[in-house]
Amino acid sequence: MKRNLLLLSMIALAFLLLIGCSSNEDAGETNEGESNDNSSENASENDADEQIEISFSWWGDTGRHEKYNEIVDLFEEEYPNIKVDRQFGGWEDYWDRLTTQVSGGNAPDVVSMHQFYVSDYARRGALHVMNDMVDSGELDLSDFPDAALNSGKVGEEIVMVAKGITMPGYVYNTAVFDDLGVDYPGYDWTWDDFVDKAYEIKEAMGEDGWAFEDGSGGQLQPRFRYFARQSGQDVFTDDGKLGFDEQVLTDWWTMWDNMRQDDVIPDASTSNEYEGLPLEANMFATKKVAILGLPANQMYLYEEQMGEGEINIVRHPHIEGGPNGEYIEGAYLSITEASPHKEAAAKFIEFFVSNEKSVKIFKTEQGPPAGTEASNLVMEDLTPPEQRAVEHIQNTVELSEPAPYAPEGINEVETLFADNAEAIAFGQKSVEQAVTDFMSEARSILGE
Amino acid sequence: MGKFKLFWKDNGIGYLFLTPWLIGILTLTAIPMGASLYFSFTSYDMFNAPTWIGFDNYTSLFSDPKWLQSVKVTVIYVFFGVPLQLAFALFIAVLLNKGIGGLRVYRAVYYVPSLFGGSVAIAILWRQIFGGNGLVNNILGKFGIDGINWISTPSTALYTLIILMVWQFGASMVIFLAGLKQVPIELYESAKIDGAGPMKQFFKITLPLITPVVFFNLVMGIIGAFQAFTPAYIVSGGTGGPLNSTLFYTLYLYQKGFTQFAMGYASAMAWVLLIVIAIATAIVFATSKKWVYYQG
Repeated sequence: MKRNLLLLSMIALAFLLLIGCSSNEDAGETNEGESNDNSSENASENDADEQIEISFSWWGDTGRHEKYNEIVDLFEEEYPNIKVDRQFGGWEDYWDRLTTQVSGGNAPDVVSMHQFYVSDYARRGALHVMNDMVDSGELDLSDFPDAALNSGKVGEEIVMVAKGITMPGYVYNTAVFDDLGVDYPGYDWTWDDFVDKAYEIKEAMGEDGWAFEDGSGGQLQPRFRYFARQSGQDVFTDDGKLGFDEQVLTDWWTMWDNMRQDDVIPDASTSNEYEGLPLEANMFATKKVAILGLPANQMYLYEEQMGEGEINIVRHPHIEGGPNGEYIEGAYLSITEASPHKEAAAKFIEFFVSNEKSVKIFKTEQGPPAGTEASNLVMEDLTPPEQRAVEHIQNTVELSEPAPYAPEGINEVETLFADNAEAIAFGQKSVEQAVTDFMSEARSILGE
Repeated sequence: MGKFKLFWKDNGIGYLFLTPWLIGILTLTAIPMGASLYFSFTSYDMFNAPTWIGFDNYTSLFSDPKWLQSVKVTVIYVFFGVPLQLAFALFIAVLLNKGIGGLRVYRAVYYVPSLFGGSVAIAILWRQIFGGNGLVNNILGKFGIDGINWISTPSTALYTLIILMVWQFGASMVIFLAGLKQVPIELYESAKIDGAGPMKQFFKITLPLITPVVFFNLVMGIIGAFQAFTPAYIVSGGTGGPLNSTLFYTLYLYQKGFTQFAMGYASAMAWVLLIVIAIATAIVFATSKKWVYYQG
């Protein structure tokens, strides 16, 4: 009898386990599959008693994490029934994690997005198209200038909303330059000036460091993209093919290779060692290099970190007599297509980009806010490096021209670019060999 | 029907007890494996429905230079790492088997690295030890030798990871220790009387008698090493760099599947890996008749 009882309870337990598993799965499926119906049924998620949770992910450093957590706290105060799960980390990990999450079907509801990578997601249908939300005013972006709104479109579809618009440039610390006794670079300078300045800095620095980090490889933009655009080309064409020829790439890699051979920029192994280090440990903050390519919105972080001198920014060098390289960059927010709470996600985005308290915390964290009113709000209380950043952004936005969105397969092409640049740096391939290899493989990836 | 009833009466309870495990193996192993086998014959980016392409993924592997590189890296890792790790584990186990005091403490201490070895923290520690200003170069500096950055130099990066693997010898060491305890003491006593030195005793008595344990550790080591992922991922920041010198097979598989959206290709890679591991294990099994000695 006793034995039977034991048996019975074991069976009961096993069934409970079974049921537990399957019912969980069912719940998950209905949530995802019928998300559209769900959101129309609970038409007012914000004043319903129902507690919901959305998740929001972003890239950045410690300072940004504090700011964004503060903004999210404010949002939770305003909408007590919505809890926001926060996921954050550094830039490089961010994209690895996002692809894994999206493909695994557990991406956050609201994700931070970037123009260069947006097409990989949008063209595969992973991002929610927000046109209807914007037209109906459910996501109120009436304050956004057309240019800002359009910069979040892929084709005609609004797939992301600008948090901030930023522009890159090259920054230097005045104290470091004064110590070295080297003149500051001019705001409008050419690549020839750039190389000359490199030798000048190296001479002054001696064994203590180098002029700047090796910029030959890594990501395709902004550096190489500026160079290609200034040559009258671009990294991609509108129809998603490779947009530059052998000559441009050869010129680019030759320029960096010469500087590397002369020890004006770090050798390959040193570059590799410093790759992906956080701000406080990187080559510029530790004064191993005197100039750094940087999005303007991050200038204030280095001024805080380095504690002496001013961080000033100059334009990307240009090619004498060539066209401008500038194009608009920024940081964006998107809603993922698999999100079961798109309405709450839209509320969050609206709050993030236009709520008065929120934008006052955001200030120019990822560039000045895109909305007219919001950007006026933050202009009042900027620190000097933030003011310099805004000034630079305004100057260069005026020069900017549209740039094609990257095609599918951008990740693969970028890896190929970085691999070949590294092979040159380690002396494994000649520039000529690397160019040939890159062009033929990139063309086959992009289906040419 | 009668047959089923009989079967149920005999085995039903057993299967009921197995239920939790059965659910696990079906949903977490069998079904995903079946799916991956199917995907390996398709072009699949995880967002759109897979399209059947037959053996294309498999044939294009062999013309992919990065795949060949990842095979090379992994084979070197297995070929050097596994024997070194086993030799080292056996060496420490023999030392610990001498009946020194505080054996338990030593055993625990030496086992610790295998507990942490696969972890992120250790991989980061490794970056520090073998970095340009790391521990190794500091020691070398004391002897007036200018060290290089071991992890950022393509020709040495992989070997730092092999050392990391050898350092995690604890698990196989504990198994060796258990094996050593099984060797009858009388054999050593009579060998001593016959005048055999410690080296001779080791090679003529100890080693032959623990070959079953060596065999077990070898098989487990090979299977584990083929699938190594974490150390390379963390030490190289997910790139397999410098210059793809630490591009482990599984790391490339991960890059293909999860950052380049080529899940079909990645699935094909996984199946090739499975087959290679199976072949390697089969070879070890086949040769085992010649060198593994079972007592009694």
